[in-house]
Amino acid sequence: MARLLSFPGTRRQRELALQAVFLSALAALVLGAALTARERLAAQGLTSGFGFLRKATGWEINFALLPTTTADPYWWYLLSGLVNTLFMGAVGLSGAFALGLLVGLMRSGRNPAARLLGTLYVELFRNLPIILQLFFWYAVATALPNPRQSIEIGGALVNARGIYLPGPEIGRGIAALSALAILAGAGLAVGILAARRFRRAAPLRRQSLAALSLAAGFAVAAGLALAFRDPATPWITHPRAEGLRITGGWRIQPEFYALALTIITYGAAYVGEIVRGGLKAVPRGQIEAAAALGLTAWQRFSRVTMPLAFRAMLPMLANQSVWLMKATTLGIAVGFSDFFMVVAGSINHSGQTLELIGILMAGFLAINLTLAALMNRLDRALSLEGSSMRPRR
Amino acid sequence: MDRTAPAIEITGLHKSYGGFQALRGIDLTVARGERVVVCGPSGSGKSTMIRCINQLEEHDSGTIRVLGTVLDGRLASLDEIRREVGMVFQQFNLFPHMTVLENCTLAPMLVRRLPRAEAEATAMRFLEKVRIPEQAQKYPAQLSGGQQQRVAIARALCMEPQIMLFDEPTSALDPEMIAEVLDVMVTLAQEGMTMVCVTHEMGFARKVADRVIFMDRGEIIEAAPPGQFFSAPQNDRTRQFLSQVLGH
Repeated sequence: MARLLSFPGTRRQRELALQAVFLSALAALVLGAALTARERLAAQGLTSGFGFLRKATGWEINFALLPTTTADPYWWYLLSGLVNTLFMGAVGLSGAFALGLLVGLMRSGRNPAARLLGTLYVELFRNLPIILQLFFWYAVATALPNPRQSIEIGGALVNARGIYLPGPEIGRGIAALSALAILAGAGLAVGILAARRFRRAAPLRRQSLAALSLAAGFAVAAGLALAFRDPATPWITHPRAEGLRITGGWRIQPEFYALALTIITYGAAYVGEIVRGGLKAVPRGQIEAAAALGLTAWQRFSRVTMPLAFRAMLPMLANQSVWLMKATTLGIAVGFSDFFMVVAGSINHSGQTLELIGILMAGFLAINLTLAALMNRLDRALSLEGSSMRPRR
Repeated sequence: MDRTAPAIEITGLHKSYGGFQALRGIDLTVARGERVVVCGPSGSGKSTMIRCINQLEEHDSGTIRVLGTVLDGRLASLDEIRREVGMVFQQFNLFPHMTVLENCTLAPMLVRRLPRAEAEATAMRFLEKVRIPEQAQKYPAQLSGGQQQRVAIARALCMEPQIMLFDEPTSALDPEMIAEVLDVMVTLAQEGMTMVCVTHEMGFARKVADRVIFMDRGEIIEAAPPGQFFSAPQNDRTRQFLSQVLGH
């Protein structure tokens, strides 16, 4: 019996043979599934393929940064949904990081009232299901008074149909492009600060380069807004209520801000704990050394504690970012037209389920793999030289 | 700041952690230019005392006067004192995210507001003094323990302090690296730096100390010049400690 089981050849050959057997079994399984699916679909008279992407949709989506009409083809709708998801992700992640930093600092500080408040916050928002929180914020948003009784706060109008902010009269596409320019400028600035290539450059030059790219982003955004604004309208238009209609200004829909608020407040509870953990991971000795050198509390925090804490936080922040990005798909629960909801709508109207689910998966993989790769790159760029925790390259 | 006042004047210093009394009534005056070595068994309060001098530990009662300024808990007096008092720790405590040079220029630039070029020139001068100028662009984790401790000494010296505190600077080092750190400290002592040094290196105490202080259970038991301290200790506890440290 033992002779039957023994494999002729070396251990390496046996391992290769096992791998080959495993891989061919897997390939056979995938091929079989694909062939069966095609056969069944053909039997039901369904055509597969991506030809539908060029057809006009004929239905509407209720939120789009890119200009969309019912005459636009499916691919434009899908792209529009993807842009909506990216926008929601950018707003949600940056908000969650900012609020989370505050919560984490409150929980790590010495002030007992702030610590209690921070703890209450974390325990409340971390322990309620995220979908419940979304329904709560959406209920609050839609329970606001009707447009006739809009609440006015410093030129802005708030009612059940949304928040109306004063702003310049420019098209949506231009606004989206401007936001993209600012984002690109900020991303480039972070890249310059983190990249090893720039490390040999004097810190002052690096900082001014980063500031320059940030400024360039804003300049391009301002230029776009200036070039494409309607010259007949005033610089800033204020929203005005005319009975049930509100004209002028920028409308933020309840679907959008309810979801953004949910992702920000829920995410901040987790980010707060990551920040607290990161601060705890900083060795006391280094902070004492900074104090002994005469650095003030703020200098100790900004030059020693935070740079070291941030390095400890990065892997967990990367994880949390990917998680929050996926949470944007909750938009479908309140009717925010994110990528997932646009795909779901497209499936309903076109019947191309498999293709659309494939596109959905590819889209989210692309977003999250890019996000994770960026965070890992930042992690590696900041990792401590000579330390054993430093990954090899 | 009083130019004529003693470097450090401590009277009736008390400090406890919960129910444990770490310091019970310390009186100690260190003159300018004096080199004081503090020894004693672990838990005797040596580190606590030295850490009270730059207020890394806040004391419960008693007065501490450094260079004539009373440490009364006001931030202004604290900032003033920490600028003039350098400290070297057992665990080096270099900033791991900065190069050796950046470690040395951080405080002079932020606290003394020196321009970068000047801070770097000062840093290189002190790195040469501790004999590792060639490591200036490296990160702390790329250096040996002895090299790290010498950088830590240079970093403290870059603030051009009037007093240096050493808290067991060689206790975390491998035996073959102790000498390189002690050499730097001896040079510093010979140049007239006011030093308070907690250490078990009795050879160092014999060589450079003006006074050796023995502490036990939060009190100063004995203080004497090294010749007298090592050859004719007055107290039983001192004798017992010395026999343990020097006996083998």
